[in-house]
Amino acid sequence: MSDCDDALHEVYSYLDQEVNWYRSWIIRRHLKGCPPCVQAYKFEQRLRVVVKERLHEEVPPEFMERLRQAIQNGP
Amino acid sequence: MADQANFERDAMPLAPQLYGAAVRLTRNPADAEDLVQETFLKAYRAYNTFEEGTNLKAWLYRILTNTFINNYRRDTRRPQETDLGELEDLYLFRRLARETSPTSSGSAEDQLLEGLVEEDIKQAIESLPENFRMVVLLADLEGFSYKEIADILDIPIGTVMSRLHRGRKALQVALWDFATKRGLVGEGDRPR
Repeated sequence: MSDCDDALHEVYSYLDQEVNWYRSWIIRRHLKGCPPCVQAYKFEQRLRVVVKERLHEEVPPEFMERLRQAIQNGP
Repeated sequence: MADQANFERDAMPLAPQLYGAAVRLTRNPADAEDLVQETFLKAYRAYNTFEEGTNLKAWLYRILTNTFINNYRRDTRRPQETDLGELEDLYLFRRLARETSPTSSGSAEDQLLEGLVEEDIKQAIESLPENFRMVVLLADLEGFSYKEIADILDIPIGTVMSRLHRGRKALQVALWDFATKRGLVGEGDRPR
């Protein structure tokens, strides 16, 4: 596999912070000299932020109150 | 050992977060409320078995996902490890690059990422088979590590990685479909 294939193969593990320090160093070194791979990494990173932000769910305050009471009343 | 008297103080601040995950798991706010309430009552009863100083959030998610699997899951098919086929990695990024001209790929990315609304993303997540949905939510919404997810769901770490990988790809395919429906990508952008 080429360096690009290697770097792109590990994009998710890298963003998940699940690669070891050595792989992380190899990837960062590759990204320094490879704008196309940087573009791919940045896209995945942005996508992840977008997904997380737009999945936000407001908890109904009445439910929080009911939950608190349920616990205080004991099971 | 944790003191039951501290349960409310320690665990209640995590309830809104668990509620968010519960809505995506059950796909319905009424079931989500029941699921979270059941989770908290179980957790309260078992709080004296929780080892103080360990990860309370992970412990609560373990109870939540277990309760979900036992009582709420609709999807009774066996784990569909192979259902999602051989999709390419970086599906959205590569598809976008193929279907837009190189000079406009940056703005095409912006258009896609800014144009997908909450409803699209929620529906895309909810379209994933439950086994995949759980790991994607635990990783991408809650930020748990692979090891933590393996402990929460009681599955091997290799299974976490494979479900996460496939689940994220399937999510990207679903997002592409929503983007196409909204006209955020597609024919108009194709180089002539």
